[in-house]
Amino acid sequence: MEERNYLLIVLGMSLMSYLPRVVPALFISKVKLSPFMLRFLDLIPYCALSALVFPGIFYSVPGHMQAAAGGTAAALLSAIFKLPLALTVVISVATVLLMLYTGF
Amino acid sequence: MSAAKLFLTGMRHGIPVVFGYVPVGIAYGVSALEAGFSPFETILMSVMVYSGSGQVLGVSMTAQGASLAAIMIATFLINFRYFIMSACIFNRLPRLGVLGRICGSWCVVDETFAIFTTAPSKLAKGFYLAGLICLTYSSWIAGAVIGVAAHSLLPAWVSAGLGIALYALFIAIVMPGCKRNLKIGLLVLLCILVNCLLSSIIDGSWAIVLSTLGCAAIGAVFIKDTKGTGQKPQDSGAADSADTKDNVKNHAGEA
Repeated sequence: MEERNYLLIVLGMSLMSYLPRVVPALFISKVKLSPFMLRFLDLIPYCALSALVFPGIFYSVPGHMQAAAGGTAAALLSAIFKLPLALTVVISVATVLLMLYTGF
Repeated sequence: MSAAKLFLTGMRHGIPVVFGYVPVGIAYGVSALEAGFSPFETILMSVMVYSGSGQVLGVSMTAQGASLAAIMIATFLINFRYFIMSACIFNRLPRLGVLGRICGSWCVVDETFAIFTTAPSKLAKGFYLAGLICLTYSSWIAGAVIGVAAHSLLPAWVSAGLGIALYALFIAIVMPGCKRNLKIGLLVLLCILVNCLLSSIIDGSWAIVLSTLGCAAIGAVFIKDTKGTGQKPQDSGAADSADTKDNVKNHAGEA
């Protein structure tokens, strides 16, 4: 991968996180969003997170796609059975580590 | 209630958040280092961005080689919900000065929003918010610091295996909403399909931005009840955005 300016990424992200927070804090009286916009904003996290996970998750363990797939399956099952967030993460990581350790 | 008492009450109400923040902060810290951020940049991001989903998104996109512009747009999109939360929080603090607004809005996140806007109105004061923010914000930064420290103690293959942690977290966050509302589940599947197709044609990070915007817009047309199937919104930890909506409505009614 080419050389990246990580500090610039941090600063850029900081700006993009602060703007939507500070604008309504200062200009609260003028904020009004349509019902469509509210629904759109509600759905953004679902879409962004799912697009981020697939297909990226399969490449999340460099050089070990099978282990990543195993971890994905473990996370999906844990989430379907409504295990707590932290436990889902632990189970998924443990599956990957076990598969790496046993040489999958 | 005195200023000191309000501040302490705010801190006390932030304690449960600490238990959620520290593990995620650690996972974030390890992932950020794996993505190539330096220890300083990793901790700085927790200080400067303070957005769990935003930071994790940025780190994952960086790991996937996304461009700066794509990362910034994606950060803005995923953090735009703070616009509404910030509006609700500061709507409850009409007499707060400009400096308080500038500082306080830095720390608007799902958790502070959820606690502050549901607190009794006698607690809706600047000092209560300050106490809440101080504890939660510092524990978020502490999590990243612990993650950075832990990373240097772990063998390389274990650190590599931790790369899946935040993806697993995303799955766990998205799943309850999909189970609650089948339409959201279908939308998620559509978004995954679109993203997989797009990312084989164009750069992966732009595929994420485009499939997110496109699918959320489609969803907003077809899904009228974006918070679920009319069940109690508090039945799941991932109902953050659902709770948000309720609060927006309540406060719109008050105003």
